[in-house]
Amino acid sequence: MADKADFERDALQYSRQLFSAAMRMARNAADAEDLVQETYLKAYRAYHTFEEGTNLKAWLYRILTNTYINKYRKDTRRPNEVDLGDVEDLYLYRRIGSEESAEAARTTEDRVLDGLVESEIKEAVEELPESFRMPVLLADLEGFSYKEIAEILDIPIGTVMSRLHRGRKAMQKRLWEFASKRGLVPQDAERP
Amino acid sequence: MSHNCDEASRQLYRYLDDELDQLTAARIRVHLEECSGCFGSFEFERRLKGVIRSHLEEDMPETLVASVRELIREEQAQEHS
Repeated sequence: MADKADFERDALQYSRQLFSAAMRMARNAADAEDLVQETYLKAYRAYHTFEEGTNLKAWLYRILTNTYINKYRKDTRRPNEVDLGDVEDLYLYRRIGSEESAEAARTTEDRVLDGLVESEIKEAVEELPESFRMPVLLADLEGFSYKEIAEILDIPIGTVMSRLHRGRKAMQKRLWEFASKRGLVPQDAERP
Repeated sequence: MSHNCDEASRQLYRYLDDELDQLTAARIRVHLEECSGCFGSFEFERRLKGVIRSHLEEDMPETLVASVRELIREEQAQEHS
């Protein structure tokens, strides 16, 4: 079992990452700060139960996620599974690739990847329904493995994979809309 | 689309997320060297993943760590009282 005296040394190194994830959950800095503080306080109180040598980072994320869900999920009517619509695989790549020449498509790829701005990426993530946003954040922001995500969110690994897949596709659809609105893709590559 | 392309596209995210066993990952790696079509899509998704990650990282408020330490101090004071 872990020694509470080691808590700050061991756990505070993850504060920036936890704050980044909290920002995408709570969507504003004040609530994100509260979330991180509450996470650390709960973790400190329970630290004597934490088994040393196991995954401290994942444990902190589990506390963060549960804290967020308990504290900020006001809309309890929201169904757990939301229909994101049927978005095709490789949505963004295929849309860009619908241009005439391969060379033109490569140029557009670069323009889109370099041109998407922070606010657009953040909006695309934040718009995802919670059950999809969490796996996307844990995988794409934090680089957790599917197994770790399954443990953090307490869902089966197959569910992690399908939500991650569908969440990423929904994000790509949104990013395509941003890219076309800002003229990063040729107008004739747009389809209704 | 060949059988190999089919497997590669099915495994794309597992490959990029480093979730495949070594043998499957190696088979896909070989395929990507031989198939420019699949290579193009994998490369795009890999770069997109990097772009998303870099834009989601936040600078933490300078005071956050200090306030967490403060909360822990208060908690310790209560424990010892």
